[in-house]
Amino acid sequence: MVLQKADLVVIGAGPAGVAAAIKAKEMGVNNVIIMERAEQLGGLLHQCIHNGFGLQYFKEDLTGPEYAYNFIEKAKGLGIKFLLETMALDISPKREITAVSNKEGIINLHPKAIILAMGCRERTRGAINIPGTRPAGIFTAGVAQRFVNVEGFIPGKKVVILGSGDVGMIMARRLTLEGVKVEAMVEILPYVGGLIRNEVQCIHDFNIPLFLEHTVVDVHGTERVKAVTIAKIDKDRNPIYKTKRKIECDTLLLSVGLIPENELSLKAGIKLDPVTGGPIVDETMQTNVSGIFAAGNVVHVHDLVDYVSFEGELAGSNAANYILSQALFPKMKINLKAGEGIRYIVPSTISGQKKATLYMRVLKPDRDVVVKVGDDFLRKHLPIVKPSEMLKIIIPLSKLKMLKDETKELTISCTKGRK
Amino acid sequence: MDIKQTDVIIIGAGIAGTAIARELSQYEIDVILMEKEADVSFGSTKASTAIIHPGLPVADAPLKTKLILDGNRLFKQLANELDVTFKKTGELTIAKNENELQELKEMKRQADAIKIPEVEVINRKKLQSMEPNITKEAIAALSIPTAGIALPFEITIALAENASQNGVRILLNTEVTDISRGADNQSLLVKTACGYIKTRFVINAAGLFADQIAAMLNADDFSISPHKGEEYLLDKRVGSIVNQPILTVASPWVLVMPTVDGNIILGTTYTEVNNKADSATTLDGFRKIINDAKDLIPIISPKDIIRSFAGLRAMNTHTSDYIIEASKKEPKLINVVLGSPGITSAPAVAKMVVEILSDQGLKLAKKPNFNPQREKMLKFSELSDEERKALIAKDPRYGHVVCRCETVTEGEIVEAIRRGARTVDGVKYRTRAGMGRCQGGFCGPRVIEILARELNIPVTEITKKGKNSQSLLFKSKELLKKGGKDNNGSSKS
Ligand SMILES: Cc1cc2nc3c(=O)[nH]c(=O)nc-3n(C[C@H](O)[C@H](O)[C@H](O)COP(=O)(O)OP(=O)(O)OC[C@H]3O[C@@H](n4cnc5c(N)ncnc54)[C@H](O)[C@@H]3O)c2cc1C
Ligand SMILES: Cc1cc2nc3c(=O)[nH]c(=O)nc-3n(C[C@H](O)[C@H](O)[C@H](O)COP(=O)(O)OP(=O)(O)OC[C@H]3O[C@@H](n4cnc5c(N)ncnc54)[C@H](O)[C@@H]3O)c2cc1C
Repeated sequence: MVLQKADLVVIGAGPAGVAAAIKAKEMGVNNVIIMERAEQLGGLLHQCIHNGFGLQYFKEDLTGPEYAYNFIEKAKGLGIKFLLETMALDISPKREITAVSNKEGIINLHPKAIILAMGCRERTRGAINIPGTRPAGIFTAGVAQRFVNVEGFIPGKKVVILGSGDVGMIMARRLTLEGVKVEAMVEILPYVGGLIRNEVQCIHDFNIPLFLEHTVVDVHGTERVKAVTIAKIDKDRNPIYKTKRKIECDTLLLSVGLIPENELSLKAGIKLDPVTGGPIVDETMQTNVSGIFAAGNVVHVHDLVDYVSFEGELAGSNAANYILSQALFPKMKINLKAGEGIRYIVPSTISGQKKATLYMRVLKPDRDVVVKVGDDFLRKHLPIVKPSEMLKIIIPLSKLKMLKDETKELTISCTKGRK
Repeated sequence: MDIKQTDVIIIGAGIAGTAIARELSQYEIDVILMEKEADVSFGSTKASTAIIHPGLPVADAPLKTKLILDGNRLFKQLANELDVTFKKTGELTIAKNENELQELKEMKRQADAIKIPEVEVINRKKLQSMEPNITKEAIAALSIPTAGIALPFEITIALAENASQNGVRILLNTEVTDISRGADNQSLLVKTACGYIKTRFVINAAGLFADQIAAMLNADDFSISPHKGEEYLLDKRVGSIVNQPILTVASPWVLVMPTVDGNIILGTTYTEVNNKADSATTLDGFRKIINDAKDLIPIISPKDIIRSFAGLRAMNTHTSDYIIEASKKEPKLINVVLGSPGITSAPAVAKMVVEILSDQGLKLAKKPNFNPQREKMLKFSELSDEERKALIAKDPRYGHVVCRCETVTEGEIVEAIRRGARTVDGVKYRTRAGMGRCQGGFCGPRVIEILARELNIPVTEITKKGKNSQSLLFKSKELLKKGGKDNNGSSKS
């Protein structure tokens, strides 16, 4: 059994994990190891060859691999150790990690702290129950992205995309540029699921037929997909059969949501938030298990990688504090509660002792809303909100200091209004 | 015309055909098993819930009743020899009212009469302790401890492997397109795309297509009517919310059961369809199954579904019993039409077919070197850390996890291919790669890559399940260069 010395182990070498490792190393943690099951660093960025990354972090418009490269080079320069093609199989509540790799066999580690940065996975057909046959030619959009951008294969020639998440929209454009005919993008909601900029640049600019409040009600073909039938849905999301139309295609792509990847977290005894599907974390990104932190898509699905990096750095610096001097941690006194119009908030608790950065999503798209923290403690007018675009609200320390000592909870809401 | 010769041709490599092939492989005869699909078990068999039924009498079906009972008794030994999983879980049939309770008592009397052991009508309290998640409406249940669960494709693959080990030739992707009588009147000529083979006997185990096979010889007037059964599989994460198949007196098709791998299956429907290729799941089927399942186990939630599928039961319109006999018009043709259930009875069916062949004059001398044991594939996920270490030291490919949901390694995938997997589904049925919660989202591309590498063929030729089920149709830029040549998957194969 190989036993390696480690102060901090980061699981997952996507943007969250790499940023976290860099930060911890910079703050003086000695042995930092990143464990990654893929053969290269960078996580999902590796397959995102389009631009639009880094506008917040680098104030520059980069592609995914370029964005990742900046971080990876820095991490290598700092002497962070990478274990590639190494999959973490188990984490115990005492922070014992079991991993496997083809080079080293079974690896056991017992670091002082762990940062979970396993990212997310895509929802599949089973999870949303699309009726019909089960032929070849049904892919999630992320898998198709990998085939096209990394492996050099085009799944088919006539494609229907179900769901209008960002990956689906990016793939609609990418496939069109590869000579594929995207016959339709079908979305069950009355609005597009992903970012507005992707809706404009990937769908409208390429004249891709968009069917809102529609869904796929049947898949045809026994060997390869031959067609799909779509229909409009009523207010209870039941298909309206007289609106059925059959679209011939050889491929169905699914862009129907991402789920944080938390099988390992559950083994470690970490509590998950039923709304986000990720660990419940406090303002330091620590989970309910002491010394285990989490960041990035494993906590909640982000639309912009820049925030993933910020979150990784936050987890990294706090893990460093935890390793170097446990005493520095203030008590988390205040619960944050999602009120009217808010789907979730990360973190779920804050100390009130330092500036709080809150990430949240609204329940539905709207114009002219006011986001309120507490009764009337802090308010912010926003001209437009969408569930797909994460909101960031900062509560300055000066404000937090004004809170009464006995404050145990702050409710955050999003309601109509101009001020 | 190039005519090869054999003693027995078995048409169809479902549970019936492979069980018969394996049974025949202990004798000094030449046997060929032909299957039109790319792998064994790709017919009705793969979609079976595979409850190993205890053998309660089936109305108007004495043969079926007998063979299920015998099959149940033979199953344990078969599973041991083939090293496949068979869990004797028992089963519970639920009653919700007095009438149903009376029915349970009648079932108990019938079970006692044919000596099914340990059958018991249990009260609400005992039921609750055995199955804490059972509906409050259940007042009693019939408990039959001899029932069990297995994996239909695992057994079928194991049967085929063992038959092949003992000399049976298995021809996949080989559809029988015609059968005619030999000029000598002593033989049959079986036609496939590779020409004719002369054989002394044909065993018709073609499942849904058994009527078409019989019709090739104008032999019999039965026809097969497909009856669809939909099934919904839950994430392992929900845990063992039931410990054994839960059935109801109210319907023979409704069930909630564990799989041997720790998932839960919700099933099934029983709907006649008019197309033998129609295995589509439906919204109606989904709603019905969810309702029925919640009526048994209320905590079930459709949110936990990771996969849905459907299979067709080959019900014959001639009798409600099995058809297992030498055709009256053409005794060199032996029809084996099981419909449902047919997993349970398969070991007994195979023995019966051997007797029929012997009655028809086939000389059956035992092979001295028949080996009934088949070695199962290593499963990395089931090994201890020490065993894993040793395995990786020997072959580092066992240290490369390809399917993360089910923890399947490259070593296992390569071994599955060595044992005959040629498709993504073939790998899946042998290793579980792609059966977990992400349904191959992550490992699918890897599996395709490994198949292409090991078989030394282009990635664009790798199929999901044979024929024209290629996953990736084009290479990058191919559509741009050729201005989009015509392809809907069918022009390649
Ligand atoms: C398909 C897709 C396309 C996207 N496109 C865009 C875009 O266009 N623009 C944008 O700004 N954002 C985009 N995003 C969002 C952004 O890229 C992601 O939010 C970001 O990559 C998440 O970073 P992460 O580090 O949390 O996770 P990931 O990048 O997913 O990294 C997680 C890493 O953990 C590894 N891992 C997981 N489990 C284990 C284990 N048990 N052992 C070892 N390693 C493990 C994985 O292999 C992976 O490398 C996209 C997201 C997805 C899913
Ligand atoms: C939803 C469902 C649930 C079930 N549950 C149970 C259960 O719990 N317990 C139980 O015991 N049974 C159950 N069954 C029944 C059981 O699955 C079947 O009885 C059994 O699989 C039938 O096996 P078979 O070999 O006769 O048919 P098949 O598996 O259909 O095999 C026939 C094979 O013949 C091949 N073939 C057809 N025509 C040709 C040709 N011309 N040339 C070459 N090959 C050909 C086909 O491709 C196929 O592979 C269930 C069935 C279904 C559908």
